[in-house]
Order: sequence, then C-alpha cells, then structure tokens
Amino acid sequence: MALLGSTSLQLALAFCGLTLFLNLAYFFNRDLRFFLGAQRGLMASAALILVSTLALLHQLMVSNFDLEYVVRYSSTATPTMYKFAGLWAGMEGSLLFWLAILGVYALLVSYLNRTRNRPLMPVVNLVMGIVMLFFLVVTILFENPFTPLPQGAMVKTSGMGLNPLLQHPVMLIHPPMLYLGYVGFVVPFAFAVAALVTRRLDATWIRSTRRWTLIPWLFLAVGIILGGRWAYVELGWGGYWAWDPVENASFLPWLTGTAYLHSVIIQEKKNMLRLWNVILIMATFTLTIFGTYLTRSGILSSVHAFAGTELGAWFFGFVIIIIASCVTLVLLRKDELVSKNRLESFTSRESGFLFNNMIFLALALAVLWGTMFPILSEAVRGTKITVGSPYFDRITTPIGMLLLLLIGVGPLLAWRRTSIGTMRRNFTLPAVVAIIALAVGMLAGIRRVYPLLSMGLIAFVLVGIAVEVVRGVQARRRSGGESVLVALRNMVDKNRSRYGGYTVHLGILFMFVGFAGKAFTVEQDMTLKPGESAYLKGYIFTLDRHYQVERSNHVALVADISVSRHDKPVTVLKPEKRAYTDQNDQPNSEVAIYSRPLEDLYAVVGGVNAESNGVVLKIMVNPLVQMVWLGGIILVLGTLVAIWPSRTDRRLKEKLQ
Amino acid sequence: MKSHRMKFAVLIVAVALITFGWITIGTSEEEVPYVSIAELLEKQDTWKQNRFRLGGLVEMGSITYSPDRLSVDFVMLQGDHRLPVHYSGLTPDMFKDEVEVIIEGEYQNGVLYADNLMTKCASRYEVEITQPDSDASQGI
Repeated sequence: MALLGSTSLQLALAFCGLTLFLNLAYFFNRDLRFFLGAQRGLMASAALILVSTLALLHQLMVSNFDLEYVVRYSSTATPTMYKFAGLWAGMEGSLLFWLAILGVYALLVSYLNRTRNRPLMPVVNLVMGIVMLFFLVVTILFENPFTPLPQGAMVKTSGMGLNPLLQHPVMLIHPPMLYLGYVGFVVPFAFAVAALVTRRLDATWIRSTRRWTLIPWLFLAVGIILGGRWAYVELGWGGYWAWDPVENASFLPWLTGTAYLHSVIIQEKKNMLRLWNVILIMATFTLTIFGTYLTRSGILSSVHAFAGTELGAWFFGFVIIIIASCVTLVLLRKDELVSKNRLESFTSRESGFLFNNMIFLALALAVLWGTMFPILSEAVRGTKITVGSPYFDRITTPIGMLLLLLIGVGPLLAWRRTSIGTMRRNFTLPAVVAIIALAVGMLAGIRRVYPLLSMGLIAFVLVGIAVEVVRGVQARRRSGGESVLVALRNMVDKNRSRYGGYTVHLGILFMFVGFAGKAFTVEQDMTLKPGESAYLKGYIFTLDRHYQVERSNHVALVADISVSRHDKPVTVLKPEKRAYTDQNDQPNSEVAIYSRPLEDLYAVVGGVNAESNGVVLKIMVNPLVQMVWLGGIILVLGTLVAIWPSRTDRRLKEKLQ
Repeated sequence: MKSHRMKFAVLIVAVALITFGWITIGTSEEEVPYVSIAELLEKQDTWKQNRFRLGGLVEMGSITYSPDRLSVDFVMLQGDHRLPVHYSGLTPDMFKDEVEVIIEGEYQNGVLYADNLMTKCASRYEVEITQPDSDASQGI
C-alpha cells in the first residue's frame, strides 16, 4: 500500500507535468485536442493524488509502523477516529491532504465546466495545474509521507501516537474545513487570471465563480470558528482567539475574501471596480499561499507552528512568483479594466460598499502589519519587536465598530443616491432604538466605551435588518396578497444573495455580542482544599473532592467542583488533568465548561499539592461566549441561503433539460 | 463631476492616512522587544520600556513552585546566559525541565516578572526520532 501511495504520487507529478505541457501546446497552436488532453491530464493527476491519500489513510488505519509518518502520528492505542486525524497532524500528511483537496476542486471544476466557460477553461486548467505541480514537487522532494522509517531507528514499536491536544472531535473537522477554505480560493483566482489573459473582462467570470467563492469563504469561516471553539474547550486559557500568527494567517484571506464578496456586487450591478475585484481575489489567493508559508516555514514563533524546514524558501519563492505574475498581468490589462461608471453620491449603496472594502482592507493591513512586525522590525531596526494581543485588540476594536456601523447603514442606503426623505424614513427607527440601547447600557452600569458603543450599534443593525425584512414582506403582501410566511419565502428566494447576506450579517452581529462579552470576563486562580469554597461573580465554587481515574491511554486527576448561586445548586464541574501513558505521561488538561444561556462557567485543574492536599484551580465566568458559536451557526445558515439555487434557477435548469 | 471625483479621492486618502496613523501609534505603544538574555543584560539602560519577550530553555531542576502552586520561579537558559524568571498563574501543561518556552513580562532588579508563559509547540506537534550514531557503526 505504501508503494501504491508513493507511486501514485509520482505518477500524479508526471501527469501534472504533461498537463502543463499540453496546456502550453494548446496556447501555441489552438488545437482543441491539446486542451482536452491537458484537462484529462489534470483530472488524472487529481485522481492519482486521491489514491495516494487513501493509501496513506489506509496505512494509518492498519498502523503500518514501517512508515516514519505513521510512527510519528499514530499508535496502536490511538482511537480509530483519531488515526484518521493523523492524516493532517504532521507536515507531510497535511501537504498531501492539501493536494487531495486541490484535486477534488480540480475534478469538480473540470467536470462542471465541461461544456461551460470554454474560452476561460484552458487558462483555469493551467493555473490549477501550476499550483498542483508546486505542491506535488514540494511534497515529493521534501515531505514525502511514504518515507520508510530509517533503518535501526529507535522508536517504540507501538507508535508515538497523536498529540493528546489534537485528540478532540473538533480536530476531526477543523483542519479539513480550513483547508477546504484555503485551497478553494484557487478556483476564483484561476478564473480571474483566465479573464485577464483572455480579455473577457465583463462580469462573466465573476458570475461563474460566485458559488466557487462563497463555498471556500464559508469553509474558511467555519474552520476559523471551529479553531476558536477548539482552543476554548481544549487549551484551558478561557479564550478562543489569541492573535497568534497562524490564526492571523487564516483570518487574512477571509478578510480580503469578504471584501471581495461585497465588491463583486458592484461589478455585477454597475460594472465598476473591475480592477479592484481582480486585485482583491489575487490578494486573497496569495494570502492563502502566504499563510501556508507562515505555518510551514517556522519564521514566526507561533504556538501552532510546524517545525521549520527548508520548505520555507520554496514557499517564499512561490509567493514571490505569484505576486510578480499577478502584478505583471494586471499592469498589462490595466487600461481595459478601467470602468466608465462613476460613483454618484456619498450616500449611496455603492459608496457603502466602497467604505466596507476600505475597512476590510484596513483591518487586513493592520493584522498583516502586526503579524509581520517581528520580521519587519528586525530587518529595519535590527531588533525583533513583537506586538501581541494588546496591539491587535486596540487596533481592531474601533475598526470592528466602524464595520458594525456600516453593516447597519449600508443596506439602508439606496443605489445611486439616497434622498433626505428616504434617509429619514430608513434611519429614524434604528437610530432611536440604538440610543435606547445605549441608555439601557448606561443605566445597567456599563461605563466602558467599546461595550456601550457596540450595544448601540448592534441594536441599530438589528432594527435595520428587521425593518428591511418587514417592509419587503409587507410590500409583497400588499401587492400579491400572500401570507406572511409565503411572502417571506418568496422574497428570500427572489434575492438569495441579499437575504443570505443579511442573515450572515445577523450571525456576525451575534458574534460581536460575544466579543463584547469578553470585556466582562472574570478569572481567578486559586488553591482549594476539599470542602473549601470560593466566590466569583455571584457563584460559589466548592471543591467537593479530588480523585484519580485510569482509562485506556491515560490517568486522570479529577476535581469535583459543585457550583451554586443564591443557595441553589447549578452544576458540578469536573475538570481533569490527564497524563497520557502512551506519550511519556504527557500532561493534558481537560477543561470543564457549563454553559448557561448568558455565561459560561469554566474550570481548569492545574494539579494537586501533595503536602497540603490543596487543588490548584483556574475558574472563570465568561459572559456571552455562546453568542459567538450561535453567530457562527447563523453565518453558516445565511451563506447556505445565498448558495442554494433559487426556484427560478431550478426551473430554468429543468427547461434546459 | 470632476470635483466629485476629487471629493472621493480626498476621502480615500484621508481614510488611508487615518488607518496608517492609527496602526503606527498602536504599534509604537504596544511594542515589546523580542530580545536575547545577553541583549537584555547588556543594553538594559538603552530600552525605553521594561517589557520584554524572550525565548529559551527551562534550566534543568530550576523549577520551584510556590506553596500554593499559583506562581513559579525558574531559570531560563540561552547557551551560557541565565535569567531568573518569576511567573504568576497556572503553568501550561507542557511546562517542565528543558522545555522551550516563550515568556513576556517586566524586567526588574535582575528578575523577569512574566505574566505570559507559553511552551513552544513546534516540539508539541513534531516529535524527534532518535537515530543511532551511524558514523560510529561504520568503522574505519
């Protein structure tokens, strides 16, 4: 099987090379057969990569410890589902996994466009082929997961097992989601390049890639949120986002991708911002590769980093090549991309989108700057200077507020120009409610600026969306006499992008509520003996007892903490400190979380003091964290609404068949 | 029409400048030098702030927990240079002798009072496979 895996990987490389050759041949003599060959070559290459990935999975499942990779990331004691996760636990496997996802996208794109977008497809094929070739070369040359274990290496014959931190159900979904997001942006990028090369610069390429952009965007969002979820329930510091370089690396393409999703609307409606959109999608794709580079090269110290290897130089070179080609291409087509239409007024939907883009870009720049600052400062000043969470929180919070404001204002503006009357009609109610919310916040004793401000803005957006939806439904009911639900369904179905978008906004809103809650987190480290209690934010935490439990691959110290509020029992938290016996007794904390609707009770056990019998605990009360996850779910639903074909689409399709 | 374009251009430039200024101020006020122990000891008077970030190894046998285990003293090693560190808080799971750590905190009277202690995870995800000394087995 290992032989099958490595052979198919090499064959994939051969086919990929052939693809590029045929593709170029097609550009020289325009014989369609060359292109068809190139397309089939790419599909064959993709299929071979999938075979190779399955082979590696099989090796992990049967625990073939002849392979170094299997020894490193699996063990006989590893539960089956986490043997699966071994595929992306290490550098080699994760590169192969990356390739596999690229393969799936390549197959889908080729198949779904077998009769469509003929003029663009040769270039699309070429771009995907080049990316695939790069990853194949890197994987085969430096990070081949099928490398046999060196002769005489001294390792345990049962394998080293998967890092306990990664043995969490979320870790089965988070990496694949993230990768599906990262890799997926190659499709809209390839179409953009194809549009430029073939001079088909109207909105066709944008329309054909609408779903191809929404899907990776959604996957990336889900991946990022699940990563936060994992950090929250597994790492035991009580937060879900730390502005770590690797987190930022996934956040950056999401930001530019979000900007792109908004600005393409302008191109579709007004044929404006054509140059801008091309640049945005190029930047997004470049950032996905750059992100991979950051995580793989070890140039930035991060808590997620893979060990540094020579791979860094290759990735850096690839990023440079991508940037150089993109810049050249844009410069060559610059004149043809300039649009004739102009913005007419500040108070128009168009300028709302424009501001949205500026803010997303500012946010991306701030994050990029902070992430790269250690490297930049070392190059310029000779000293490595880091900026941590305080910098990012400080910079991004006000930008986030502006974004909230725009989420509220944008949809209330009319296209072209908003008259004073419309402004008054659309803004009065949301503004009044926002002021009421602010007042309520003040009365509740909140004095900090940002939480207050976000309360007001959140109320503003919420009412704004509600007003839009209610008006739309009312209009339908008046004209068509539909019932409320039918009217709502038909309204959404007629403009899925818009109402899907509003739903996503609602999700983001909930997440902001959660972010605002972060300001009111209460945390305390303490040592309690059995029977002792501690008081925190209205709750009494009592340590009942502590004891040891032995399980299949670990021994756990468990602390039973009963929690009460107003003399009523709330729950019993049972945080654990585990020592993994198959991992040299590597310790790992199991956080105990009890979620109430408005706050989470969060407990971590640090250890027990043998002399005093005191148990070291970290206890937190985290308000509104649930809102972040709830917002994430709403975001997913909203995006699905936007992706789902509308009934008119489906009817059209039936007619065509 | 022309003046209108100007207005937009001015606006865009203004937003860009504000962003730039905002980022620059934020950076200069939140920056923490990532130094080596040698740099910290030699040039301690030249830094305008006293908050630093350092990376190094935990010296074998240097870890001493306070009786309530809520804070810890240890010595950070970088080659021959040693730096006493005091950290308040629960230590991360991976914190033990000879582990690579990154700390951040204030330097006062020869001790770094850290409020942030991270164990570096490169070693977390990637495990070393030890190989027998192949040169020795080859003979002459």
